[in-house]
Amino acid sequence: MKQEYNFSRRFFLKTSSALGALAFIPKGVKAFYEEVKNFIVPKKEQLPLTVSINKKSYAIKADTRTTLLDLLREDLNLTGAKKGCDHGQCGACTVHIDGERALSCLTLAAMVPGKEVTTIEGLANGDKLHPMQEAFIECDGFQCGYCTPGQIMSAVACVKEGHTKSVAEIKEFMSGNLCRCGAYNGIVESIQKVAAK
Amino acid sequence: MGFFDEPFDLMTPPEGRVEGVAKVTGSGKYAAEYKVNGLCHAVLVGSTIAAGTILNINTSNAKQVAGVLGVITHLEKPVVPGMADEEKIKEARFGLPVFHTDKVYFKGQPIALVIAETLEDATYAASLVSAEYREDAKTVDFNGTLGFVSLTPAGKDRGDITALNSAAHSIEAEYNIKAEVHNPMEMHATIAEWTADDKLKLFDKNQGVNNVQRTFAKLFNIPVNHIEVISEFVGGGFGSGLRVWPHALACIMAAKLVKRPVKLMLTRPQMFYSVGYRPASWQKIKLGANADGKFIGIHHQAKNGTSVYENFNEGITRVTRLIYNFDNLKAEAATVPLNLSTPTWMRGPGDCTGDFAIESAIDELSYKLNIDPVALRMKNLALEKNPETGLPWSTNYINECIEKGAQMISWKDRKAAHSQNIEGDWNIGYGMAVGAWNAGRGNASAGIQMQKDGSITVQTAMTDIGTGTGISMQNIAHETTGISKSKIKIELGNSNLPPAPSQGGSNGLSSIGGAVVAAVNALKLKLAEHAALQNEAYKNVAAADILLSDKGISLKTANSQFFISYASLWEKNKLGILEVEASSGPGAERQKYAFCSSAAHFCKVRVNRKTGKVKIERLVTVSDGGKIISEKAAANQMSGAAVGGIGMALMEEQATDERLGTLVGNDFAGYHFPVNADAPIIEVAFINKPDPNINPQGSKGLGEVGIIGTAAAIANAIYNATGKRLRDLPITPDKVLLG
Ligand code: FES
Ligand code: FES
Repeated sequence: MKQEYNFSRRFFLKTSSALGALAFIPKGVKAFYEEVKNFIVPKKEQLPLTVSINKKSYAIKADTRTTLLDLLREDLNLTGAKKGCDHGQCGACTVHIDGERALSCLTLAAMVPGKEVTTIEGLANGDKLHPMQEAFIECDGFQCGYCTPGQIMSAVACVKEGHTKSVAEIKEFMSGNLCRCGAYNGIVESIQKVAAK
Repeated sequence: MGFFDEPFDLMTPPEGRVEGVAKVTGSGKYAAEYKVNGLCHAVLVGSTIAAGTILNINTSNAKQVAGVLGVITHLEKPVVPGMADEEKIKEARFGLPVFHTDKVYFKGQPIALVIAETLEDATYAASLVSAEYREDAKTVDFNGTLGFVSLTPAGKDRGDITALNSAAHSIEAEYNIKAEVHNPMEMHATIAEWTADDKLKLFDKNQGVNNVQRTFAKLFNIPVNHIEVISEFVGGGFGSGLRVWPHALACIMAAKLVKRPVKLMLTRPQMFYSVGYRPASWQKIKLGANADGKFIGIHHQAKNGTSVYENFNEGITRVTRLIYNFDNLKAEAATVPLNLSTPTWMRGPGDCTGDFAIESAIDELSYKLNIDPVALRMKNLALEKNPETGLPWSTNYINECIEKGAQMISWKDRKAAHSQNIEGDWNIGYGMAVGAWNAGRGNASAGIQMQKDGSITVQTAMTDIGTGTGISMQNIAHETTGISKSKIKIELGNSNLPPAPSQGGSNGLSSIGGAVVAAVNALKLKLAEHAALQNEAYKNVAAADILLSDKGISLKTANSQFFISYASLWEKNKLGILEVEASSGPGAERQKYAFCSSAAHFCKVRVNRKTGKVKIERLVTVSDGGKIISEKAAANQMSGAAVGGIGMALMEEQATDERLGTLVGNDFAGYHFPVNADAPIIEVAFINKPDPNINPQGSKGLGEVGIIGTAAAIANAIYNATGKRLRDLPITPDKVLLG
C-alpha cells in the first residue's frame, strides 16, 4: 500500500520558516531537512483546467507541478516547443501567451487558463506558412532545428515589438534564444527580411 | 516516415533544406518527441561524492511515491548479459559500467534510476533517493595534477629537435585551455521499447544509428537486426553523439524492468557530466626559425584531462604534423586522470586545441622576426605534400584561403606593431590563423526507390545533425540523375535503411556522397536493363552513358528516338517500386594521395582598456572543402563553427571546485557560449574547387576546419590590439585586464 500524507500548505510554510530559523546550525538543518523531505511524500494533486492553445480549447486534468512546456510536450503531443534547459536559460521553449513571448518552462500549466497560448504549431495559417517561417527556410536560419521554434516565436515578437532597427538591435533582442549550432547569421537575416516587408 | 516535409506536400515550400518545413513548423520529431503507447518516464539519480564506494542506497522513500513503477540500482537491476561479470565489462568497452559497480568515479555518476508514470512523479521520487558512501581521495584539478604524469612520445620524431638551439629566433611558451562542453541544444534522450523479449526499438539522440545498434546488440546479446534505432531529427551533436552513453543503457534496462516503453531525457545539468566534453589541456611549444623566417623545427608537448575509469587521449599534437614544413619535430603527450566523467571528441577534436598553441606561437614569432604573419605562414606551408606521410596532397588550397581571407578583411589596414590603433577606450587589432584537418571518407551505403511517376526516395541510415546531409544528398541525386528536386525525397537516420558510418570528424558528406552516386549508377543500370527489353540499344550500356530526366530514360550518345518514358517502362515490365542499393568507400587513391580540408580565419577585434571586454567586430572564414555541394548549408556550417570558436576563445569554461570535487555552474547561467549578440555577422567564403580523388562528388568535409584556428585568430587580434599575449583560454575580461 502506498503511504499517503496530506500536509496542508500552512504546515509546509511553517516547516519552511522553521528551516529558516534553524539556519544557524548548518548540520542540524541538513539532517532536519532530510527528515522533512522523507516525511512529506505528497499526494499528487490533479487540477482540472481549461486551456486554450492555438485557438483550441482543451479541458484537461494536470498535475499541479506540471509546466506549460511539459503539458504541451508530454500531454498534448505538441512537441514544437522544445526543452533546452527547463530553467529559463535558453529560449527553446518560447511560446506566445496573449501575444507576448513567454518561456513555457517557467510557466506552470495552472497559470494559463483564461489566456491564449500560441505555439509554433499555431503560427502557420493552414497550409500557408507564416512569413517568418518562410524566411527561416530561405535564409537557412537553422541547422539542427532544435532551437528553431523558439527562435521563430521570438523573432515574430521581436518584429512586433519593433526591435529591428539595426543588426545590433536584432541581435540584442534575440539573445535570449541560444543556438548552439550558431545559425545566428541566418536568424538575423530572416528577421531583417520580414521586418522589411 | 521521411526526412522531408510530409504534411505540407501540397504546397510549394520556399527553396531550402529538404526538412525545412518540418523544422520551422515543429512537426519534425526529435528523440523524446515520439508518441508511444504506454510510455513512462525515467529520471537518473547522481552520486553526491566524487570518489568512493556506495555502502547503501535508500530507495524506499522513492518507491512510496504514487506513480513510481520501479527503481534500478547496482543492487537491483535487470540482467545485461554483456556486463555479467568483470571480464565481460572490460570486453564491452562501454566506459562507465553504469549500475554494475559500487564504485563512484565522479560526482553525478548515476547510482539509481527511478521509473514512474509521469515525469513529475519520477523527478520528485528521484529526489528522495539517498546513499551512504565511503569516500576516497579525489581530484578534479587538472592544472594541479598534470605535473604528476610524465610525457611519452606521440608519434615518430622528425629530424633532430636540438636543431632548434641554432635558431635565430625562437618562442617557448605554455598554453592552457579550460574544459568545454558540447551542449547541443537538444538534451540527449532515449525512448526504449522492448517489442519482444529479444527485440528492441529505440528513439535515440546520437550521431550514428548503426553504432548504437551494434553496441546494444553486443550488450544484450541479440542479433543486430533485432534492434531498430530511429534518429531522424537530431538536435545537434558536435561529437557528443558519437559514443553510446550510460543513460541510453539505463533507459533500456528500465524498459526491461517495467516491461513498458520508457523515456529518459537528461536534464541540462546532467548534460555536463553524462555525454562527454572537450577536456582541459596544457601545452608547451618551442618553435624556432632562421633569420628570414624559415621554420627550423617544433617541439610540441601536450596533456589533457581524462577520467579515472577510462583513458581518453585527445591527439592534440596531430595537427602539428599537418600544416607546415617542420624538418625537425618532436611531439609528446600524456593524459591526466581526474574524478570527472570521460571526455570525448568535440568539434575539431585535438586539432583545434593543438592549433591554438601553434598558431599563437607562430604569431608571436612573426613579431620577433618582424615579418607579417600572413607572409610568415605562406613561407612555411606544406603545399606540395603531407609533411608526415610524404604523399602528395590530392588538393590543398590553404594558401588561397589565406589570400582570399586577407583581402576580405582588408589585412592591409592592420598595423604591424601592436597598440597602434586606438579609438577612445577601445584598442583595435587584427589577427589571423589557419587550420587544417585530415579529410576522411568511410564506407557508406545508400538506397533509391523509384516510382512510376519518376519520383525517387534516396535513403541512408546516416543522421543529419544539422549539417545538411539531407539537402546535400538531394543535390547530389539531382545533379547525377537530372530529376527535379521536388521529385526527390530523402529518408535518413534510421537503422533499417542502408548502413552508413557515424556522422563525425567531417566524414559525413564525404562518405555518403559517394554512396548516393553509386546508388544512382545502380538505378541507371537497372532502368537500362528493363529498357533493353524495349530497345536493344540499352543492352550493356555503361551508367555514364545513361541519362535520366523527370519523364524517362535516354542515352547520351544517341538521338532522342531512344527515349523511353517511365510510364511505358513500368507498364511493359510490370514494375512496382524499383529498388536499388549500393555502397561506396575509399580505395587505392588513399595510397597515392593525402587529403586535407583547410581554412584561414581573420578577425578584427575591439578591446576595451577599462573593462577588458573583447568585441569581435569582424570574423572572416575562408575554407577549402573541395566542391561545395550545398552553398547555404556549407556557409551555415562555417559560420556556426566560427561562433563556436568565439566561445572557445572568449567564454567557454567548465569550472570545477576541488574541495567539493564537483563541476561548478553546470547550466547556461554558469556556462556561457555565444548568444546572438556575442557574434558579428560571420563572413564566409569558399575556394570551391573539387578534389578529383577523394570521392565522386569532389567534396571534402568542413565541420571541423571551421573551428580549427578561430580561437588563435581572435587571441592574435587581441595581441595586435593591446600587446597582451594571452595564452590561456577562455580570454575573459579579467585576463585581459591583468594580462
Ligand atoms: S527550456 Fe525554457 S528557457 Fe530553456
Ligand atoms: S539550429 Fe541547432 S541549436 Fe539552433
